[in-house]
Amino acid sequence: MKPIKEPGFDPIEDLRQAGTRLEILRYLALVIFVILAGRLWYLQVMNKQVYAERAEMNRTRVLTIPARRGNVFDRKGRLLASSQPSYNIVISRKDVKNFDEISNLLIENISDIERDWLSKRFEAAIYEPKYESIVVKELASKEDVQWVEAHQYEYPMIRAEEAPRRFYPNGQLAAHALGYVGEVSRTELNDKSSPFNREAGFKLGDIIGKAGIERTYNEILMGKDGERRVIVDSRGRIQKEIDRIPPEPGRDVYLTLDLDIQKIAEAQAYDMPENRGVIVVSDPTNGEIFALVSHPSYDPNVFSLKAKTDEGKTEIRDLYENPDKPLYNRVIQGTYPPGSTWKLLTTVAGLNEGVITPENSRIQDGGIQLGNYFMKSLSHLGAPDVVTAISRSADGYYYRLGLKLGPERFEKWVRTFRFGERTGIDLPREKIGILPTRAAKAMIYPRTPKWTEYDMAASAFGQGTNALTPIQLLRYVNGLAVGGQMYTPHLFLRAVAGTDRMGKKHSAVKFVDNNKFTVAMSRDTHEIVLKGMWGAVNGAGTAGAAHVEGFDVCGKTGTAQNVSTDKVGKNTKDHAWFMGFAPRDKPEISAVILTENAGFGGKQSAPRAGAIFTDYYRRTRGLKDEVLSETVARGRAGEPAKVVRN
Amino acid sequence: MLGINRRYLSDFDWPLLGIAMAIAAFGVLEISSAEPNPGLWRRQLVGIGIGLFVIFVTTVLDYRRIVNLAPYLYVIGVILLALVLTPLGKEVNGNRSWLYFGSFGFQPSEFAKLFTILLLAYYLSGVKKRPLDLRTIIIAGMIWALPTALVFLENDTGSALSYSSFLVAMLFLAGLRWRWVIAALGILVLAVTFSVPYVKTCKSYKCERIKAVYWPELAEKRFRYQNDQSEIAVGSGGLFGKGLRGSTQGTLGFVPEVHNDFIYAVASEEWGFLGSFLSLTLYLLMISRLIQIARRSRERVGVLLAAGVAALLLYHVTVNVGMVVRLLPIMGIPLPLMSSGLTSVVATSFGLGLAISIRLRRFVN
Repeated sequence: MKPIKEPGFDPIEDLRQAGTRLEILRYLALVIFVILAGRLWYLQVMNKQVYAERAEMNRTRVLTIPARRGNVFDRKGRLLASSQPSYNIVISRKDVKNFDEISNLLIENISDIERDWLSKRFEAAIYEPKYESIVVKELASKEDVQWVEAHQYEYPMIRAEEAPRRFYPNGQLAAHALGYVGEVSRTELNDKSSPFNREAGFKLGDIIGKAGIERTYNEILMGKDGERRVIVDSRGRIQKEIDRIPPEPGRDVYLTLDLDIQKIAEAQAYDMPENRGVIVVSDPTNGEIFALVSHPSYDPNVFSLKAKTDEGKTEIRDLYENPDKPLYNRVIQGTYPPGSTWKLLTTVAGLNEGVITPENSRIQDGGIQLGNYFMKSLSHLGAPDVVTAISRSADGYYYRLGLKLGPERFEKWVRTFRFGERTGIDLPREKIGILPTRAAKAMIYPRTPKWTEYDMAASAFGQGTNALTPIQLLRYVNGLAVGGQMYTPHLFLRAVAGTDRMGKKHSAVKFVDNNKFTVAMSRDTHEIVLKGMWGAVNGAGTAGAAHVEGFDVCGKTGTAQNVSTDKVGKNTKDHAWFMGFAPRDKPEISAVILTENAGFGGKQSAPRAGAIFTDYYRRTRGLKDEVLSETVARGRAGEPAKVVRN
Repeated sequence: MLGINRRYLSDFDWPLLGIAMAIAAFGVLEISSAEPNPGLWRRQLVGIGIGLFVIFVTTVLDYRRIVNLAPYLYVIGVILLALVLTPLGKEVNGNRSWLYFGSFGFQPSEFAKLFTILLLAYYLSGVKKRPLDLRTIIIAGMIWALPTALVFLENDTGSALSYSSFLVAMLFLAGLRWRWVIAALGILVLAVTFSVPYVKTCKSYKCERIKAVYWPELAEKRFRYQNDQSEIAVGSGGLFGKGLRGSTQGTLGFVPEVHNDFIYAVASEEWGFLGSFLSLTLYLLMISRLIQIARRSRERVGVLLAAGVAALLLYHVTVNVGMVVRLLPIMGIPLPLMSSGLTSVVATSFGLGLAISIRLRRFVN
């Protein structure tokens, strides 16, 4: 291109002016450069620390390795609850774009997933918070976990999460003693008064004891979680592990339960006529509980193994809705009128207060006219002595003894035995019951608060406002067995040394009874109690079905009049009690049995005690099975013998 | 035509080539660090090889002959841009800027930019008027508007804006009246001021990207994320950086498009302020060198062409680094010679080749 001379255009001047403007362009570049460099200086030199920390937070994650919960054993070291290593297959919801695609993938590659179930699961997940992961498979098999880990890069949204599972190898057995575990709830975490709140170091997803000794001894059973520090990429895929603090398992706990006795007790509870009742067996010399049955029961595995599946949720809902309340621990939460078992308290009170003496204890039996009300008595024994009154359960005798005692002295002895207080058994949510006292009557019947002779007579033989828990009755019968020493019924025997959830070391611990007390009972009084209760079983008494040849069983039946307002149907039938121990002179075992709505205690509850005592006697004395079968057959009043072996 | 003789070798702009190769080598190193897949950095090496060949061819040819071809090149460029909008085009990351012939794909807009610079230089150098009259400005504007509109339709705002960078620079150098320059700046300031309230409330992804930088609290989280991560990458590099392959922000995928538009973030993370400042200085030197070539040219066409290339590179560096350090919104603009991508490297080489060719012929008339 040749420069053409144009009018008014000077190429030299044009280049000069362009040169000036090029300088302006150069300065513009310099200014931009200074701004960018300044920004780099600000980010990289002045604020390095801030960004370095954010980069570190980006790339590292701390993952919890859940600690194994301590095992629970019976007194002889047989396993009652363990923690199994287990994995859940979970999907992080926010990373899933197409649920159909994921469904196909899972159904093809993970064992035992059904399409219907999965689609229901995903539908439900829509209403759950987005950050929560969806468990698509609990208790995943080894192959499942391997598949997930092998495909982590392709499908980062599918993960295998370690989740040790509580496992109760005996299923329903001793469920109410053991309790169950579950995730700590939001309410508990935020409640300042809860032992499981955030301040105590709990966090969402922690597995805690929800009931039973799992809850009471949660601090012992929980271990210290471990940690994995890993490097992740922007999609959360683990690239590398930088650090690992191994978890420390919780401490093992040994309970006072004896699996052999628990098993026979469960078997005895299983055929209770209304399918409801209680059996507690213990060592009267120290309060150690050998067996604890609240019937109907439940399988605690449902809570730990299936709580997140639909099937499991349905099962749990059914447990809550069941009218027989299987989750409710009747041993400590059920309150029932004690019936004639109460007569021993009135006996001890009468002897201690000098109303009757060992030498002169005869009182008139039979019905009694109190004001315009006639109290009937099933017994008409003339004027029996106190031993006969106990063994033959003479109602009329106790009406009159009660009237002679009067409310003050009577109530003093109710309090001395510490009825109306928790026994302090190591299970949560124990009830206190209602006392047969003037204050209780005034509270329950505010329109007729006055204490009448009728109230006195009824209270003295175990009715009235009286309602107590089977565990209170157990402590009472144990005290009667050993002559007034009242031990706290308990399930905890010992725990091994180890680390708690905060990492603190603990040495082995044994149960210490801080709540025991003594009820003053003279040798003579004790002797009368023993004779009366022995007579009830071995004489012509009401508890004959509990008799075990050679074992000197002592016992007392009771028939608790059901005060239910529901007058229609079987639910108004009386509850049948038996309480007893053996052998008479050196007690080793005691039992309290309640068969709900079954009628007379002698027929319903005493034979079950007989079967339990027989089994115990056979095993501890090394007797042969034939003897057992005979005894059980006889004990069960002609019904076919039901003996359960391990 | 100038053959390869001693003059060619002694007058060749070795410093400029040296700077360009230093930047490109640093780019390959960082691509290999950011993306362990060897395919990418090897591809980049191939791109640099092609780029060197393009520089050689361009410098051997007289740039004036190339300028004379400008109308044809411009038409080819526009046709290619139009083809992108047909089913031959392909959308990548929301920008429909790729053209595929079988498995071979490239971005026509990278070349169309240079073809437009060539046509503007061709046209404006023919207009022997100073200051420029309105007619010239309008015709130059039309040359600019056609490819810009097409790129805009491809939804590639960053590239569309880059056309304005060299248009403005070339008009300014060709003799735009000062009062027009000041009026244009005034309108720009007013437009920005008045669009602020609109941008703050608007929800389109372009607005969100702007908000993510200037009003992060108003922006949606997912738009802030890329800015945050890039900022963290740069900042965490500190003074000396985390060393080669020390990047976590880049290699673990926190920074997006890490081998491409955000390569500077990884470079800053691995080499710290020292590295990022040094590479920025290389770019400043390169652009200064191009302006120097424009100044030395004895011809209007040489001045305009070299300055157009300089303005384009300045725009690319400013927008790319500005977006990495969170001073400017995220736009799909590669960092010349460092970002991986054959088209970008070859197109930049072509621009540099043109400038070197101008320098080689600065005394010849």
